[in-house]
Amino acid sequence: MDRWLHPSVFYFIGSLLLPFIKSEKAKKFLLLLIPSLSIIDVALMQEGVYGAFNFLNINLIFGRVDKLSLVFAWVFVIMAFLGALYALHVKEDGHHIAANFYIGSSLGAIFGGDYLTVFIFWEIMAFSSVFLVWYRKEQKSIDAGYRYLLVHVFGGLLFLAGMMLYYYKTGNLAFERILPTNAGVAEYLILAGFSLNAAVIPLHAWLPDAYPEATVEGAVFMCAFTTKTAVYVLARGFPGFEVLAILGTAMTVYGVFYAVIENDMRRVLAYHIISQVGYMVAGVGIGTELSVNGACAHAFAHILYKALLFMGAGAVLYMTGTAKLTKLGGLYKYMPLTMIFYIVGAISISGFPLFSGFVSKSMIVAAAHEEGRLILMLLMNLAGIGTFLSVGLKVTYFAFFSKDKAPIKASEPPKNMLWSMGLTSALCFIIGIYPDSLYVLLPYNVEYHPYTLSHLSEMLQILSFTGLIFFLLVKKLAPEEKINLDMDYVYRKGGRAFMFVDDMVISPIDTWWGNLYNTVGLKLLFLKARFASLFDRVVIDGIVDGTAFSVRMVGFLVRKLQTGRVQAYIGLAVFILVIVIWIALRMG
Amino acid sequence: MNVLKYIEALKNNLNTLKKVLIVYLIILVIYDILIHIGAHGHFFVDNIPGFWTIFGGIGCFILIKVAKGIAHAFLSKDEDFYG
Repeated sequence: MDRWLHPSVFYFIGSLLLPFIKSEKAKKFLLLLIPSLSIIDVALMQEGVYGAFNFLNINLIFGRVDKLSLVFAWVFVIMAFLGALYALHVKEDGHHIAANFYIGSSLGAIFGGDYLTVFIFWEIMAFSSVFLVWYRKEQKSIDAGYRYLLVHVFGGLLFLAGMMLYYYKTGNLAFERILPTNAGVAEYLILAGFSLNAAVIPLHAWLPDAYPEATVEGAVFMCAFTTKTAVYVLARGFPGFEVLAILGTAMTVYGVFYAVIENDMRRVLAYHIISQVGYMVAGVGIGTELSVNGACAHAFAHILYKALLFMGAGAVLYMTGTAKLTKLGGLYKYMPLTMIFYIVGAISISGFPLFSGFVSKSMIVAAAHEEGRLILMLLMNLAGIGTFLSVGLKVTYFAFFSKDKAPIKASEPPKNMLWSMGLTSALCFIIGIYPDSLYVLLPYNVEYHPYTLSHLSEMLQILSFTGLIFFLLVKKLAPEEKINLDMDYVYRKGGRAFMFVDDMVISPIDTWWGNLYNTVGLKLLFLKARFASLFDRVVIDGIVDGTAFSVRMVGFLVRKLQTGRVQAYIGLAVFILVIVIWIALRMG
Repeated sequence: MNVLKYIEALKNNLNTLKKVLIVYLIILVIYDILIHIGAHGHFFVDNIPGFWTIFGGIGCFILIKVAKGIAHAFLSKDEDFYG
C-alpha cells in the first residue's frame, strides 16, 4: 500500500463526532471503533516517508514510518484500545475527547519527521492530557493540573528555544540522530525539553504530582503516552548520550526509593514510572543496538503492565473511594479478579520469568553488562529489588491482604474494566512466554535470548531473597499517612515564597508608592495636565487628529482580550506562539 | 469462588507454606552453584556462586532501612503540608 493515512486522524475526527451521538450504545461502539481502525491502519503501514509538505521553506514531515516509529505506534494503538475499553463507562464526552486527542497527538509526535511537527503535537499532548486530571473535579486535582500544565509549558519552551537555535545553526528542522560530539546549546536544550517529558530527574516531579490526582480512567491513559513518547524522541535523536545513561540509572533507583515509602497506591505506581522509564533512558544513553532495542522493548512491555497496574489501582479507588494503603486491606475477599490482574502486572514489572518484564528489562541490563558498565548494571538490579519490594509485595500485601480494613463492602469493578484488565494481563503473559512476538518489532536485528540458565538463576535469586527479607521486615514497611517531599517542593513552596515576598515587600512598597503618587504625583500631574491639554487642544489636535481614535481602538481590543477566562488565555497563548514561530521562521 | 478457597487454604497452612518456600530458596542457591561450575563470566560478580542471593537480600534490607530512615528524618510531612 503506497498510500498512507495518518492514524491520528481517527482519534481527532472520531472523538469530535461523540457529542453528536445520542445513543449510549452507539457512543461505546464509536469509542472502540476508533482504536480498532487505527490498529488496522498501523498493521497495513509500509515503511517510508509520507505526508511531506513544504511550509515556508521548511520541510514538514507528518509520516516518517520506520521500524523505530512503528514499534511505538503498535503499542500506542493497542493501548488506546485497552484504555478505551477500560474507560467505556465514563459518561462525560469531554473526558473521551481529551483522551482521544491525547492519543492522537502522541501518535502524531511519533510519526513526525521534523522538530516543528513534533513540537506541535507535543503541545497538544500537554493541553489535552491535563483535562484527564481536571475531570476528577476535586480541588487537589485542579491545582495539580495547573502545576502539570505549567511544568509542561516550561518543557515545551525549552524544546522551542532549542529548536530555534538548532534552525539558526543548521538551517533546517529535520529530526535526525544527533551525535554527542556535535551537540551544543541547541541540542542540549532540545534534550532538556524531551527529558522533562521523560521525567528524567531532576525534571520529574510533575509526574508523581499529577498522575495520582487524575481520574481513574485518565491515569491509565496518562501513564502510557507522555513518558513513552519522550522515550521515543530520545531514542530517535539522542542515543549514546552518556548523560542519559547516568541519569537514567539514577532514575531507576530514585523511583523505587520513593515507592518504598509512599502511601497512595497510584503514587507508588507513578514513582515506578520514573523508575521504569529510567531503564529506557539508560538504554538509550548506553546507545548500543542491543540497548536501544531494549529501550523499545521495555517501553512496549512497560506500557502494557503499567497500564494494567494503574487499572488495578484505579479499580480499587473506583470501588472503595480511596487508594491509600493505610485505609485498605483484605480486599482479596471482595475483589479477587482485580487482585489477580494486579498481581500479573506486578510480577510483570518485577521481571518474573514467563512475564513481559523479564524479556524486556533484561535486554537493557544485559547491554550494560556487555558494555562493561558494572555500576550501572548493579544499580539497575538494585532498582529491580525495589520494584518487586514496593509494587509486587508492599502494595499487594497491604491492599489485598493484611488486615481487613475495606471501608465499604467493596466488590469487583464494572465488566468493561475487568475485560480490559484481563486482556492486558493476557498480553503481558504472551510477551513473556513468546518474546519473539515483541522482538520481531524492534528496530535493530540483534540476537538476544532471555531464557538462559544464568539469567533465570540471577532473576529468581534476586526476587526470591527480596521476598524473604520483605516478610522478615514487613512491620517496618507499614505504610504511613504522610506525603513525601520531592522536587515539586521547589515550585510549590517556591511559588509561596514568591507570594510571601510579594506580600511583605513588594506590596507595601507598591502601596507606599501609590500613596506618594496620589498625594504628590497627582497634584503635579493635574498641573501638568492643565498645561498639556491647552497645548493639546490648540496644537496637537490640529496635527494628528486620528491618533487618539486609534489608541482608543487598541485599548478596546486589549480589553476584549482580557476576558479573564483561562481558555481564552490558553487559546491566545497558542495563537501568539504560532505567530511568533512563523515570524521567527520567516526571519531565519 | 475458587481463588478464595485456595487463598484461605494457604492462609490456614502458613507453617507448611513457609517450609516449602525455605526449601525452594535452598534449591535455588544449590542450582546457582551448579551452573557456576566451569562457567566464566564477564565481571567478577559473574563468577561468585550465589552472588545474586546476597545482593537481593542485602540490597532489599538496605533499601528498606535507608528509605524509611530518610523518610522519617526529613522527607515525610503531614498530608496538609502544602495546604
